[in-house]
Amino acid sequence: MIALTLLLLTAQNPAAPPAKVAASIARLFGPDVRVDTLRVDSARVLRVSRGDSLLGFAQVGNVLGKDQPITFLVAIDVADRLKDVDILVYRESYGGEVAYEPWRKQFRGHVAGDSLRVGKEIRNISGATISVHAVTLAVRRMLADLTAWHRSGAIR
Amino acid sequence: MRKPLAWGLLCALSPCLSRGLLAQERTTVGGYGEVHYTNATGPNTPGIANLARFVVYLAHGFNDRLAFRSELEVENAKLEGGKAGGEVSLEQAYLDYRVADALTIRTGLVLAPIGIINETHEPPTFNGVGRPGFDHDVIPTTWREIGIGAVGTIPGGAGLAYRVYLVNGLKAEGFDAVEGIREGRQEGQNASFTNPSFTGRLEWARPGLKIGGSFWYGGSADTNTAVGTGTFAAPVTLLSADARFDLGALALRGVITNIRIGDAEAVNTVFGQSIGSRIAGGYLEGAYDVLHLLAPASSQRLRAFARYERYDTQADVPTGVTRDPSLARRITTMGLTYKPTWNVAFKGDYQLVRNAAGVGEYDVLSLGVGYQF
Repeated sequence: MIALTLLLLTAQNPAAPPAKVAASIARLFGPDVRVDTLRVDSARVLRVSRGDSLLGFAQVGNVLGKDQPITFLVAIDVADRLKDVDILVYRESYGGEVAYEPWRKQFRGHVAGDSLRVGKEIRNISGATISVHAVTLAVRRMLADLTAWHRSGAIR
Repeated sequence: MRKPLAWGLLCALSPCLSRGLLAQERTTVGGYGEVHYTNATGPNTPGIANLARFVVYLAHGFNDRLAFRSELEVENAKLEGGKAGGEVSLEQAYLDYRVADALTIRTGLVLAPIGIINETHEPPTFNGVGRPGFDHDVIPTTWREIGIGAVGTIPGGAGLAYRVYLVNGLKAEGFDAVEGIREGRQEGQNASFTNPSFTGRLEWARPGLKIGGSFWYGGSADTNTAVGTGTFAAPVTLLSADARFDLGALALRGVITNIRIGDAEAVNTVFGQSIGSRIAGGYLEGAYDVLHLLAPASSQRLRAFARYERYDTQADVPTGVTRDPSLARRITTMGLTYKPTWNVAFKGDYQLVRNAAGVGEYDVLSLGVGYQF
């Protein structure tokens, strides 16, 4: 079962080591969750449930920092609120502070359409400006996608 | 699960890899630059317009763990045979091998991880047309040397990151009283490794806050036995602390640095200089985003700032040197930085350049543009 889950996760999340995705899902939704893959257009969304109850959705994406892709995960709950952002793989030479919990937690609880701007709702970290802008923009887009898909019934 | 297995699965199963970000090698081009107009007070000081820096950033990811990064710079727009001025140089050129988040091995021409400007020097990241004088005469930006080291974040989520390098040393024959250790840098050109040196930094970050501490330690005698013998002869010991606070509309930053030069007397005797045995100083800067009040919805910035620098390249002098009070400098800068986007800046400032002797003082009006991408 674990192997199958990892296989699925691997298939869904090409740029992230499956163990990291699994750890991230477990951290956000708790242990013993069921993870299914949903396809929406070319995107793959992770549907997270326990027993009969849906817990939320997650998606893994890549965004270019200064010269390398930053691999991140965004998770929402059933009410389309952003649960958290995880930085799964950070490959840049400067700016790794975007993986720090105090920075990531600024996104929690936000919903699609909320203003998420660097220097306003999302505080910058000096020396990590490029990564901060890249991740903020990418999270905003992914939150909007997940929400739109959930509301339209494309994922459920 | 072991990583190689995971990556094996990844390659086997991933349709995205074939058109994705990581399976292929990847080359990225970026850059930054700045154009300055400066007009100092006093006789025979016409306004000068200069393309101060044009830098091409070139990076290549060989695979998910191994990357090359470089900055090639043209200073002052051009070089011409037989004429003074202009410079073409590599500001950085290194390979990174990412072992884990906690450890990346870095080797090549690396930036000394000291202060604020040396590592983060793109023009939109700092206020004022030119870099602070402190970041020329005390911390000799852009300070880069060849070596090997380790960088990473310290596990545990405490928000700590480190960089440590073993690099070639400074050469005391380049030291002078006015610019301190600046011309002792070797900058990757046939650098003598007679005096290997250590440099490093520990920094702590929170949203809106970064605090760092840096050091450099290494000899500078090179092969000149009259200055001293041994790996750490004529040692340069630098300690520096810096902080950056971003409190919404208000941004504060400051740096303080102390450099001791051992055997300064011998350096002066051998090279006919009058360097200090201690170089010290720092600056404080405050900036306020006026658009935060005038146009709260705007993502543009108009920062009004003031900076006060105070430093002395002869904070202490060795036997045989009389302190020159004109080297105890005080520079006050006031100006505006307009940023239509976070990576473009239009700048203007007015500087009062003063010193403890009260001689050779002047004011400067500067205008500039800067970008990075």
